[in-house]
Amino acid sequence: MKIFQIALGILAAIGGFVDIGDLVFNVAAGATFGYQLLWVVVIGVVGIIVYSEMCGRVAAASNKAVFDVVRERVGFRAGLGTLVAAQIVNLMTLAAEIGGIAICLQLLSGLPYRWLIVAAIVALAIVVWVTSFDWLERIFGYGGLCLLAFAVAAVKLRPDWGDVASGYVPHLETDDPLLYLYFAVGLLGAAMTPYEVYFYSSGAVEEEWTPKDLGLNRANAMIGYGLGGFLSFALMITGGALFLNKGIQPDFLGSIALGAEVPLGKIGLLLALVGILFAVGGASIDTLLSGAYNLAQFLGWEWGRYRSASGAPRFTLTWMVLLVLALGIVMTGVDPVQLTEYAVVFSVVALPLTYLPILLVANDRAYMGAHANGRLANVLGVVYLFVILAVSASAIPLMILTNVGQG
Amino acid sequence: MSRVLLLLVGAALLTACNGGTVDRHALKQDSDAIDSLACEGALLARDVAKGRSTLYFARVHADELAVRASHFGDALSDRPTLEPIRAKVRDEARKAGRIARLLDELHRHPADGGVAERLRPRLEHEGDCS
Repeated sequence: MKIFQIALGILAAIGGFVDIGDLVFNVAAGATFGYQLLWVVVIGVVGIIVYSEMCGRVAAASNKAVFDVVRERVGFRAGLGTLVAAQIVNLMTLAAEIGGIAICLQLLSGLPYRWLIVAAIVALAIVVWVTSFDWLERIFGYGGLCLLAFAVAAVKLRPDWGDVASGYVPHLETDDPLLYLYFAVGLLGAAMTPYEVYFYSSGAVEEEWTPKDLGLNRANAMIGYGLGGFLSFALMITGGALFLNKGIQPDFLGSIALGAEVPLGKIGLLLALVGILFAVGGASIDTLLSGAYNLAQFLGWEWGRYRSASGAPRFTLTWMVLLVLALGIVMTGVDPVQLTEYAVVFSVVALPLTYLPILLVANDRAYMGAHANGRLANVLGVVYLFVILAVSASAIPLMILTNVGQG
Repeated sequence: MSRVLLLLVGAALLTACNGGTVDRHALKQDSDAIDSLACEGALLARDVAKGRSTLYFARVHADELAVRASHFGDALSDRPTLEPIRAKVRDEARKAGRIARLLDELHRHPADGGVAERLRPRLEHEGDCS
């Protein structure tokens, strides 16, 4: 029974791995550079495994989620800067995801986009209000598994598997190295989206993990995210095999769905759209709740999905306000795909602000006792700190120099 | 912190800015983007012709592509242009307009295989799709 539960959790994690940032950056990277950047996805997936495993372990050992730790470790003033940066990125991501839901619904139903934005907001509010934590994870995770259509599409498009294999080895075959670096940064940012980790560690506290759950934490992080990365590979291979030679820049969510329609027909298209809808819908909920978790944890409010609205009123009010703010942003008519690119780049910039305190705490034997980082976790944690710092410092300059990836 | 935020907003505005004079680099970028829209439209038209797409998807996505092509056409017509490339920019603006009209026709006939079959080679030709 336990194994069955773990398997279900892993399935949900696979389906829940992909969000709008992964969809946009993986397909665009494939369309621009073929399979050359597959190695970056591997680095990103290992990075999110390292980061989330540390966060889960800290939560299990100390019963503290990310922003509890941030405030405790860096103090109120520096922590407040981190919180503001995280909330801005969260809100941008949330708005992009909600726009993505509305576009997906429009591609499925043909109804007007703005009506569907409102419908999406109302639906999200109801789902978050009435659905339990477990069911949120399962419904959207399993629905997101429809994205496996892209794995079938990738195979059916008959890519050159030798070229695909060489994509896992870092190499540069382009006359535009800045654009290559921009996409590398975007792919890393899309794979290591911080809200996933805020949500993951808050969920661990909500589910009252203890050190006995560290095995589950490791399995979820390694297998769930690891296999979730498989979907990212499929998206990039689809983008490379279908769009690269035709010179197509997939600038719309519809372009991504077309990647499944061309090789698989209507079934592929519908599976892709449903998969995107659930993946983006699940990510919206994760982002929404992460915003509320972050604020409540930082300010010491009562928080949690397991509490009733009256048991955690400020937490509940926060996610409602975030939903209204996101509605305002999407209703301006901003393009969700472009907003996603900005959100991913800015999330990379803000990433070290939460990564560093978590690394310090996870490495603190006085705090974590026997559950502090071992040698491997420590080496990986420090290596990724340098990777994250380098990527964070270069993200904005690359965005400007490449005109947001337009070359 | 506020300085960092200001910098971020400034950077976003700088990079989002799509105006300015059309030079050779901007023309090449826009031309590639316009060709991309035509080629994507051709793929969609092929699927519509074979009955491999859905009505709503074809209608909505063709409209997205048409609107974007039309925006490129308008922008190329309106923006100041360097004198030596003025004629090329005008040609590109006209091409964007033609592609927008073809995609709009696909948008208005999303379930008509005959129309899609007629539009596909024209889109491929306009976009110089390989």
